[in-house]
Amino acid sequence: MVVSVGGGGVGVGVAVGADPSLGGPAGPGPVRGALRGGRRDVLRGLFAAAGALALAPLVAASRPPHGADDPGEVAFDETYRGRHIRGIKTTAGRASGADQWHVTVDGRQLELMRRADGTWLSMVDHYRSYETPLEAARAAVDELGPGQQLREIPMGHAGTMSGMDDMGGMGEMDDMGGHHGVRP
Amino acid sequence: MAYVRKDASTLTSAEKRRFVKAMLEIKRRGEYDEFVRMHIDFYVTDGEGGLRTAHMAPSFLPWHRRFLLDLERALRRVDASVTVPYWDWTKDRKAGAGPWTKDLLGGTGRRSDRQVTTGPFAYATGNWTIKEGVTDGEFLTRDLGRARDPIELPTKAELESALADPVYDVSPWDSTSAKGFRNRLEGWGSGRGSAAWRNHNRVHRWVGGVMVGGASVNDPVFWMHHAFVDLQWSRWQRRHPGARYLPAKPMEPGSAQYRRIVARHEKLPPWDVTPDSLEDVSRIYRYA
Repeated sequence: MVVSVGGGGVGVGVAVGADPSLGGPAGPGPVRGALRGGRRDVLRGLFAAAGALALAPLVAASRPPHGADDPGEVAFDETYRGRHIRGIKTTAGRASGADQWHVTVDGRQLELMRRADGTWLSMVDHYRSYETPLEAARAAVDELGPGQQLREIPMGHAGTMSGMDDMGGMGEMDDMGGHHGVRP
Repeated sequence: MAYVRKDASTLTSAEKRRFVKAMLEIKRRGEYDEFVRMHIDFYVTDGEGGLRTAHMAPSFLPWHRRFLLDLERALRRVDASVTVPYWDWTKDRKAGAGPWTKDLLGGTGRRSDRQVTTGPFAYATGNWTIKEGVTDGEFLTRDLGRARDPIELPTKAELESALADPVYDVSPWDSTSAKGFRNRLEGWGSGRGSAAWRNHNRVHRWVGGVMVGGASVNDPVFWMHHAFVDLQWSRWQRRHPGARYLPAKPMEPGSAQYRRIVARHEKLPPWDVTPDSLEDVSRIYRYA
């Protein structure tokens, strides 16, 4: 099933993992549980998240490279310890095919980074990693003190981050001043 | 003449006072927050593209060595007698003792919001407002020992398992390197449970609060922790004479880590130095 979200000329297609040909939600994992439990909410979340990403071309991968990422796991939307956490997989037409996730906690973006073994860590919880973006998001909530919110990420920063894997060509990196060990 | 970095638990009252005063002064001048920002900006993970220098890479040790030297220089511009003390977490393992006293770092955070309310870095002093953070919280937070889900500091035996490895680092030169002194000390494991965070990483989690996040530098214990990590590099060198920083040569084009890690004689951003030049610092400082 594909939900098309037209956004002012920016074509945004979001594949929701309910397509039987992709296996669909299966097993008792928390992510799948979240999808099964609140499908309408998930869809609402997708619309909202897609809206927030209106400038980013958004095409969900049909079959991600890592086995740990079941094709069904393309989004989550739940309340965890009183925090509203949402995530949506965004694969921005990149040759590498590596997954990107846009995750928010109470509407503020949570930066996620990937480890070489395919696990995930966030800016809030930087010294260990988690199997899935949802686990990383929950762990970030665990570390957020009561009443604390994520700081707003300056415009442009997160957008550049999501393009990092595109820097396979070193000439491109040099053009961008990229070969300096600093996050763009 | 090399200066001396001391065990924090051996500092005199005057030494503690001068260290704290210099820290507060560079914070007041805005210099401290530049260090926080730099650490955030250089945290590139190995599942992303681009060059990694500070973490999940062989240069974890020289990067932080130079980072400490820069902080120490800033402190010594304020007070030339100050050096960065180290926190021996294999020895000082209690939340109420060691560096966690009112005259040095202050204690753990209060239960309600993990805010540190004791010591010179408590928010209410007005001297330690967090400006470069992951959250919008302006106060320093800690959860020593992780009260709601307790963990222990790394043991001497765990640290020993890193020191005993005779090879500095091994392919694939990242957080998945199963052997080598560097990753055993940096502490990236695999799987779940306590094996997933060791030594350096585990200490960040034991302290909790801001120390767990990308802006960990906001807690002054960051420097005392990394001074102790840095001391391990020197101990490892003494234990394994002739053992050097690896890789010795730049990665070949086409290899997975080509231009993503720093070899022994390559420049270590953001500085104009190489790991080679940071292996021997005996002319600058030594550890007591």
